Amino acid sequence: MNDRARAEEHLRVIRSLMERATIYRAISAPTALIGGLLAVATTFVIWWFDRSQAPGAPGLDNRLFAEIWLAILAVVLAINTFFVRQEALRDGRVLLSSGARLALRAIAPCLLIPAATTIWYFRNAEPIDQEILVAVWIAFYGLCLLATALFAPRSLVLLGWAFLLSGLLLIFWPKSFGADPRGLYPNFAMGATFGLYHLVYAVCVWASRQPDAREILAPE
Amino acid sequence: MPDFDKLDKAIHEKGRLAIMTLLASRVSWAFQDLKAELKMSDGNLVTHLRTLHKLGFVAVTKEMRDRPQTSYALTTKGRSAFTDYLKVLEQIVKAGKE
Repeated sequence: MNDRARAEEHLRVIRSLMERATIYRAISAPTALIGGLLAVATTFVIWWFDRSQAPGAPGLDNRLFAEIWLAILAVVLAINTFFVRQEALRDGRVLLSSGARLALRAIAPCLLIPAATTIWYFRNAEPIDQEILVAVWIAFYGLCLLATALFAPRSLVLLGWAFLLSGLLLIFWPKSFGADPRGLYPNFAMGATFGLYHLVYAVCVWASRQPDAREILAPE
Repeated sequence: MPDFDKLDKAIHEKGRLAIMTLLASRVSWAFQDLKAELKMSDGNLVTHLRTLHKLGFVAVTKEMRDRPQTSYALTTKGRSAFTDYLKVLEQIVKAGKE
């Protein structure tokens, strides 16, 4: 085997080992914490706004409901980018590391249906089921997380399953199990999943990271 | 003309190259995870890690969680040495094509 063939073989082995060992956490614990708190707060504000309305007054406008949650999504994405960048700087990596690119490639196809559903929701002149929109958001967010399962930590995979199953449950829940005259179930579903699930995830990730004591050994 | 003699001998050894590659793929590795991934014996892995630590390529952190855990990470010097190693390999491949 000549030098070139040997070098190529070495590079191939290195690449395959690195791909196999890559673990990428698409959602940092601080983002989950802030995003979770924002989602719970938003749910509370929407509920509080509805309660303060006069009896018989219409609930929150469908479009406004979606706009509020999309604004929260934009804020959380900006926060996640900030934290991922901070982490990359601290570890001497670039923002769009190979792990980040791998995650984006895996997630992108799962965003098509929720994006199309959201556009359809806004373009449709007739009132549309909020339950359907929220179920699609929740279920496909779960699918996005599960799409990274091959290189994601176990906690993120469990979070993905929780979202996916909750999204499926939501499709059947409201109309089959009880009346929702004020149309608040979708709002509560957003708070329970994007709020509480993320808070539980953040607590679990932090709890598993904190050692009781740490000693760093200098080179001899 | 770049050749295999220009490669860092400390990294080029098969076991140590595998360790450096894994360490380059994540922020840090626990000893048990490295051992499981590389399927090396404790003694073999410790010897290689000690060599890399002595060279300043690897940082060692001992933590107390439910039980003591030792984790390893590439230092800036180690990451730079690994990058240089890859560059030499790429140069060899390029030179072979010309």
